[in-house]
Amino acid sequence: MKRILQHPTAPTTGRIYWRSLGEYARTPDFEEWLHREFPKGAAEWENDPLSRRTFLRLMGASLALAGLSLSGCRRPEAHLVPFTQTPEWVVSGKKMSFATAQPRRRGSIPLLATTFDGRPVKMEGNPLHPVSQGATDNHAQASILDLYDPARRRFLTRANKKATPEDLAAEVARIRAEASNSLGASLAILAEETLSPSRERLRNNLLRQFPQATWAVYDPLTSGRDLAASSLAFGPNTDFRPQLAVASTILSLDCDFLGSDEGDIPDTRGFASGRRTRKPDDKMNRLYVAEPRFSLTGTMADHRLRLRASATGAFLLELARQIRSLRSTPDLNTLLQQAPDLSLPKGIDPAWIRECAADLVAHGQNSLILVGRRQPVAIQALGLALNSALGAIGTTLLVQPQLSAPSSNLASLADKVRSGAIRTLLLLGGDPVYNAPADLDWASLQSSIPNTIHLSPFFNATSARANWFIPGTHYLESWGDTLAADGSYLSIQPTIQPLWAGQSQLEFLTSLTAQSKPIGPSIIRETFATRTNFTGEKLEQAWQDFVREGFVPSLAITSPRTANPSAIATLLSSIEVAPADDIHSLEAVFTHSGALDDGRYANNGWMQEWPDPMTKLTWDNAILISKETADSLGLKNELSKGILIADVVQATLAGRSLEAPILIAPGHVNFAVSLPVGYGQEDLGPVAKGSGFDAYRLRTTGTDYLAQGLQLKPTGRTRELAITQEHQVMEGRDLVREASLAEYQAKPDWVKKVGMDGHIPPNQSFYKNPKLTGDHQWAMVIDLATCTGCNACVTACTAENNIPIVGKDQVIKGREMHWIRVDRYYTGEPDEPESVSQPVACMQCENAPCETVCPVNATVHNEEGLNVMAYNRCIGTRYCANNCPYKVRRFNFFDYNQRSLDKLYLGPLAPKGTEETIKLQKNPNVTVRMRGVMEKCTFCVQRIEEAKIGARVRARDSADLGIPSGTLQTACQQACPADAIVFGDLKNEKDEVGKLRSLPQNYSLLDYLNVGPRLTYLGRIRNPNPAMPGAKMHYIPSHGHTESHEQGNSHPVEPNGQSGAKAGHP
Amino acid sequence: MANIFPRYTNWLPIKILVCLTVVAASVVSGMAYYFTPKYTRVGYQPTQPVAFDHSLHVNQLGMDCRYCHTGVEKSSHSNVPSTQTCMNCHTQIKSLSPKLAAVRESWKSGNPVPWVRIHKAPDYVYFNHAVHVNRGVSCVACHGKVNHMEVVYHAKPHSMGWCLECHRAPENYLRPLDQVTNMDWIPPATTTQRELGEKFVKEWNVKPPVSCSGCHR
Repeated sequence: MKRILQHPTAPTTGRIYWRSLGEYARTPDFEEWLHREFPKGAAEWENDPLSRRTFLRLMGASLALAGLSLSGCRRPEAHLVPFTQTPEWVVSGKKMSFATAQPRRRGSIPLLATTFDGRPVKMEGNPLHPVSQGATDNHAQASILDLYDPARRRFLTRANKKATPEDLAAEVARIRAEASNSLGASLAILAEETLSPSRERLRNNLLRQFPQATWAVYDPLTSGRDLAASSLAFGPNTDFRPQLAVASTILSLDCDFLGSDEGDIPDTRGFASGRRTRKPDDKMNRLYVAEPRFSLTGTMADHRLRLRASATGAFLLELARQIRSLRSTPDLNTLLQQAPDLSLPKGIDPAWIRECAADLVAHGQNSLILVGRRQPVAIQALGLALNSALGAIGTTLLVQPQLSAPSSNLASLADKVRSGAIRTLLLLGGDPVYNAPADLDWASLQSSIPNTIHLSPFFNATSARANWFIPGTHYLESWGDTLAADGSYLSIQPTIQPLWAGQSQLEFLTSLTAQSKPIGPSIIRETFATRTNFTGEKLEQAWQDFVREGFVPSLAITSPRTANPSAIATLLSSIEVAPADDIHSLEAVFTHSGALDDGRYANNGWMQEWPDPMTKLTWDNAILISKETADSLGLKNELSKGILIADVVQATLAGRSLEAPILIAPGHVNFAVSLPVGYGQEDLGPVAKGSGFDAYRLRTTGTDYLAQGLQLKPTGRTRELAITQEHQVMEGRDLVREASLAEYQAKPDWVKKVGMDGHIPPNQSFYKNPKLTGDHQWAMVIDLATCTGCNACVTACTAENNIPIVGKDQVIKGREMHWIRVDRYYTGEPDEPESVSQPVACMQCENAPCETVCPVNATVHNEEGLNVMAYNRCIGTRYCANNCPYKVRRFNFFDYNQRSLDKLYLGPLAPKGTEETIKLQKNPNVTVRMRGVMEKCTFCVQRIEEAKIGARVRARDSADLGIPSGTLQTACQQACPADAIVFGDLKNEKDEVGKLRSLPQNYSLLDYLNVGPRLTYLGRIRNPNPAMPGAKMHYIPSHGHTESHEQGNSHPVEPNGQSGAKAGHP
Repeated sequence: MANIFPRYTNWLPIKILVCLTVVAASVVSGMAYYFTPKYTRVGYQPTQPVAFDHSLHVNQLGMDCRYCHTGVEKSSHSNVPSTQTCMNCHTQIKSLSPKLAAVRESWKSGNPVPWVRIHKAPDYVYFNHAVHVNRGVSCVACHGKVNHMEVVYHAKPHSMGWCLECHRAPENYLRPLDQVTNMDWIPPATTTQRELGEKFVKEWNVKPPVSCSGCHR
């Protein structure tokens, strides 16, 4: 019985009973409508008294109005709201990608912003750019959440009261007048580093108008010492960058080029390309690392030495002498003429340095020495000179023009402020009140300036002490330009109108120089025209290409072939010996925070919950200390009921002190600690509140990197730390399989016989699984030899799949929602370990244990080999997670997306709702999961379906449904700078994944369970130098058998999988 | 001993059982009939803010679906037309008609016309129009004969089972690609839908997804 139902609307205002059908009262056309709908009925209406049929119909309708029938159960009225004028190119539901870039302090990242319906949703790398080739790191991925952060202040304020743009314009006019009177001496600008040529051009315009104005650039994590070293070695205004792809021997001294801001995406990519081993005769690079704390670079090291940061000079001098004794050159002799004779720290074996030097000399121009860029100038210069002596300049180390323009620094600006000369200070971004050296007391200095203006996307500590706050734009909502690490010119284009009517730095500077408001990209166009030699139509075409592709390649750099030794030689006498080991005077190193950088991401929920790759610490920072030193000081970390409880200490340095928890970090050097900066910002926003301690308070101008004399005193208090991985052992299950290069060459399929896999019979199954008949069979291979453990994949997956953050308390309970996690394993002693990282995501088992136990069949296997999750069917039994041997299934214990993280336990009683701006970031192609539903990695099934749909739409009435190889990438694969994750179609010969799966070093985790994972791994291969002292050449574990399996004496295997009781078998 | 229970209680268990069975059966059948999309959705015919008549525009005037629903061949979402599309003609044709007052108002003010949504798949269903329209599934298969509707109503149940009817047997619904927007097409007299459909399934390699990942992401 089909009835044509009218949608009941709000009750009418008391019309005549049988005409008050709601719609009639509202729409004037209804009568005519009704007329056409029931032509005969209308006639009857007029002439007949109420027929029975009509009466019943009207009775039903009025009951509906009275709310007694199903009107309350009717589907709510939804609306389709189109544009009034369709914008060009916009197809609703299809994504558009725009090339842009994220400005960074030493080299910006070229990006593609994926947008839906006029708003950006995900960041990808720009695959066209030769340097990044499509990779991103965790900060580039997380930056999109900063755009949508609800804590961004949305309006202009003056003295903490709302102001109007007219007020601001008046202020700008006043500043100009004041500055003109003094030729600009009263005006100072303090900017954060953005490497923007347009800002440089505007700066020059400004300085032409006000020649005495001060332009200072401050960044807490750039020391400027690397540039000073480079000028000494290679001439003024030069900079250097490594080319790791051609480096076969690398020595890294306190330079975490794989995991921190010392390096960049191309460094990881280059290193990984030298590491990748597919055949036994492939050449592998070798990495020596000497560092104070265990970093990602240390993870990849073939030989690692714990060396205090202050001992780097002594180490490098000894290395220089060893290199000279192996290959003496006049330059080296000049260099080391005045070099002091410093003793090496206790415990450092000179043979280590000697063999390392021999390896470097043997590889000559393909070797590379990297020294941390915040080390003293003399040490860095020495490193550059040694590179030159090895012949590396021009091959593994390139010299290029300095990317950042010379400016005043914060200290000289502070002097001017103290002298009273500055009457107006304009702060472009940054947060000097928070992160300036503590001895400058910048907060009171800034307050002493009569007029301060802070232009920034976030209202931070500096804004609180400024007169004016101008809401700044995020890079995703403004036009701009910047430079990549290789000097190429990148365009930044907006992907959305400024959310809160902010201004970009360029726009404000334009207004300050009394020019008319720029229209769109006019500022950038002018800069572009000055940088290229095109005119007219060619310029227009070049501009269009620039904006569309996102970059123009850098101009060729000519680098001098050698460093200037005499300039450096005189400086070497300033290198000091490291202070003696003293438990009451520890060495403190202020490190960059992997999650929060210098603190700018403190209110970014994804970055707070991002586990630090080595410590796996989230939502907090801690003082990192070695086990031995902690034991000597009587400090401990306790693991109680799965919760890490850390002792809180009072850390005192040069009269300043703070309280912080300590975290025992395996591999940390003794008598030294590391303090990650960036935390402890109580007023930045709700996410940043209560998170960590502020290490900047101990930093002073002279000790921005390294300080001596830190004292730690236990306070008796403790703090719970949210660590995502407490377990540091694999419990004997051989999840990570390593071999040295020699072992791999001798036995390429060593992985197949490690652990239980050496004992098991061929896998058999009694399950009759549905046949996998799909045209595509998806699989993924992760190469452990190239994975550095940077965790970029984790953030990319979070961004792509609408994964919520859960907050510190829930992370402590183990409920973090990351679909891919990177397990970091230590092997060896707690203080001298080695480490390996292993990304783990859903294995998409062909014989999945989770599928068989779901009572409602919410998780099934599709014909293409994916284990598929239907969220709407899941009732939250959690049996599947229980059964998963890899524990990759994540359960939504609370409604993380809709409820505030501090009110989770109120459940339905908590106020409901997500900030509107956060909703904008969600990927529309992925379900946003609710409480009570299980979720897990899907191999980005939304991207797979999109690719398949695209293939079918292109095919139309032809039969070719193939997906071109390389066009379909999962989010993690796309982000990985090392290309360690390879995803593809086993049935497509052009896809690499099939070849990788058939390599001898390919293995699956827990193979003996016979779950048939589609996600497999390539074993980790290390390249130790046999001549090095303490070189560990054997990584393949033996089981304590009297005979090894290699010799062919394998145990006869009984059908039930148990090997017979042989002597010597554990 | 005296009888504790009166005689009629001998029959009580059976009566209760029969009663419960009848109640259960009626509840189940009632729900299966009244609470499934076939009943709750089919026939939904809300009043639109502008009384747009498809039968006039499509049937009488001969406009193609894609003139207005431009995204249907390219994207997952088939859009309703923007006001600009209406005004393409209606600046000249019936430019002063009171029926189009809301459209003109929208054009002048820049506020879009709030069309009432009729077909809505739940949020956990990801339907893609382009792949259906480009592979031989006509508008009429899912939306009914819109070209004859003066006021659009929900003609088909759009339940998962209904979707699977076609996904499991696409040959019953496929038609030549140039006839996809021809709502009144019937298979030529020389062949049947089934035969024609099977030919297309083979020639075009039509393999609609029947596993969960096809629509639930």
